[in-house]
Amino acid sequence: MSNLAQARLHEERKQWRKDHPFGFYAKPVKAADGTMNIMLWEVGIPGKAGTIWDGGVYKVMMTFPDEFPTKPPKCKFDPPLFHPNVYPSGTICLSILDEEKNWKPSITIKQIVLGVQDLLDHPNIGDPAQIDAYQMYKNDKNAYERRVKQQAIERRPK
Amino acid sequence: MSSDGENDDFLYEDDYDDAFDQDDEIDSTSEPDVYDALSPAIEEAPQKKPYDVSWKVKTLQEIIDMQNKEITKIQSVLEVPASSAAILLRHYVWNSEKLQEQFWNDPATALGEAGLSPPSSPTTRTAPLPPSPTKRSTRSSKAGPSSFLKRTKSQPPTSGPFECPICCMEFDQQAVERNTYSMGCGHRFCKDCWTEYLAGKVKGEGESAKIQCMESGCGRIVREEVIDEMVTQDISKRYHNLLNAAFVADSPTLRWCPHPNCEYIIQCNQAPTRMLNQLVPTVECKCGNDLCFGCGYAASHRPVLCKIVRMWEKKCADDSETANWLQANTKECTKCQSTIEKNGGCNHMTCKKCKWEFCWVCMGPWSEHGTSWYQCNRFDEKSGIDARDTQAKSRASLERYLHYFNRWANHEHSAKLDAEFYQKTEKKMEQMQNSGNLSWIEVQFAKQAVDAVIRARITLKWSYCMAFYLKRNNMTELFEDNQRDLERAVENLGYLLEQNISDTESISKLRQDITNQAAYVQKRHDILMDDTLRGYLERRWEFSVEI
Repeated sequence: MSNLAQARLHEERKQWRKDHPFGFYAKPVKAADGTMNIMLWEVGIPGKAGTIWDGGVYKVMMTFPDEFPTKPPKCKFDPPLFHPNVYPSGTICLSILDEEKNWKPSITIKQIVLGVQDLLDHPNIGDPAQIDAYQMYKNDKNAYERRVKQQAIERRPK
Repeated sequence: MSSDGENDDFLYEDDYDDAFDQDDEIDSTSEPDVYDALSPAIEEAPQKKPYDVSWKVKTLQEIIDMQNKEITKIQSVLEVPASSAAILLRHYVWNSEKLQEQFWNDPATALGEAGLSPPSSPTTRTAPLPPSPTKRSTRSSKAGPSSFLKRTKSQPPTSGPFECPICCMEFDQQAVERNTYSMGCGHRFCKDCWTEYLAGKVKGEGESAKIQCMESGCGRIVREEVIDEMVTQDISKRYHNLLNAAFVADSPTLRWCPHPNCEYIIQCNQAPTRMLNQLVPTVECKCGNDLCFGCGYAASHRPVLCKIVRMWEKKCADDSETANWLQANTKECTKCQSTIEKNGGCNHMTCKKCKWEFCWVCMGPWSEHGTSWYQCNRFDEKSGIDARDTQAKSRASLERYLHYFNRWANHEHSAKLDAEFYQKTEKKMEQMQNSGNLSWIEVQFAKQAVDAVIRARITLKWSYCMAFYLKRNNMTELFEDNQRDLERAVENLGYLLEQNISDTESISKLRQDITNQAAYVQKRHDILMDDTLRGYLERRWEFSVEI
């Protein structure tokens, strides 16, 4: 494991604890024996108020590669999410998370989670990742909204 | 085929010219005479035909000089540093006219779009999250330890430590100058992070001209000299190779020689993409091999157009013909649709899968055949006719394809045995020198004949691909007549070259025959080639596919 990646992630954690956007959470995963894995984070992203995603908090697992921050983390909804830009595996398709597109080493975890939250209500129809949500979004907006609202209820924090 | 690089009567010269071909007159390094003299040709000095193109072979250094010349020009016209001129030119794909137009129209936008913030406001911060602004107050930049630092207009902090936003390392005031760097956009990062980032971009992703600042959302392009100073020599070398490769790839008038280990670049102004529906721009590299400038095919594919070659190669490579074979040689069970190949036996078929019994000839149920077993006389039934029709059609289409493919493949195979053919002929030439008292120069006719055969075989090979796509009409018949004449002449010459030499007298006769026949092959070859290539210009050929 690279020292650079770890140093950066520890710093990110410090910054997050100091200040983070309302309704979000982000923490490195703890193993059963209590040791912390700084390279794997569990993140909660709330749906924006006033949108069909409101009410739900969507869990994302962020896996940081050894080459972080040269390479972006892999972000995966767990469980997979009904959304046009989320692959059936849960992996998020977003330009700032693609090293060949808009990923830059200076992008912070805070910027990523805000970017993902924004993506929820602003799907990118030019770049679909799953068939179900994409087709429903295109052909039957009402059914799409019903399905998303149902999902928000299912993902309401207990 | 002309290789006359100095010829200036550009038949297809037009206005698409840009940065790439402005130094035509100056360059005179390629002297085609050199390699013409090396390969003894049967015909006399080649004349430029309307379907031939002129080209030049360039070295990598000449390509670099071409870029530098453009950069210097833009540098003096726009009064910007050389590295900025390079970034601007790459952004405008080396179209200096468009660049100048845009630049004089709106310098700020032109610079901004190319990834250079305007020189008047170097501190503009567009990034959403610049490192804490309190850490950077104004102070004019002192001469840094490295040369590129002198040029930066960023302001290092006056007080307090600086923390690199990427690795979170802290640097005190003295170390900031030495260990960190920011471009004109003002986003400062430590040099270790820069090095790792730049190396990753160049090595990992093969990027060159479009490497941006590390700050998210910042489109500032990293300058050449910055990259050269930050990364190791290996990576810097690779970076420059990538820049040159991008220059050649971006230019419609340049193409790398596709032959292995050849580093020459071909420059040709007369074969823009839209001319490729009537031009086959075969050129010869200094490495001695032919290539097609239009599509990069690593040999001559004359007289066939690039697009047809691509279609043919695809057809031969993918399994579209497998499907045709299935259709032609198999039938489907009328009940369960299993595919069945009849490999013998009578017409009474019983499907192995569903046990349905039917007649192979009319595809009707066997039960209706009554007592006239083994002799189907129900040819006029509708379902049977339909099934037979589609089968006949696909069978005919498969046969047609195989006809052309077999002949194409046959010549391809013969051409692959080139080396062997040369060796055999060489042995024979030695034998003739020994037994027939002929001098070395006197037996060269055999090698020339082999050259003629090989050249003709390649042309014949492609002529079958051409014929496959031609519509049946009178022109096509003329084409096939020419093809047949050449084919016959080649076979005759091939036969003569295989003859054994017995005595001195027969040698001189054989020599006469071979020389004559070789001249005839060459003549037929030139006629076929000339007629076909002229046919494109005269729009004589009609194809069964869209060109």
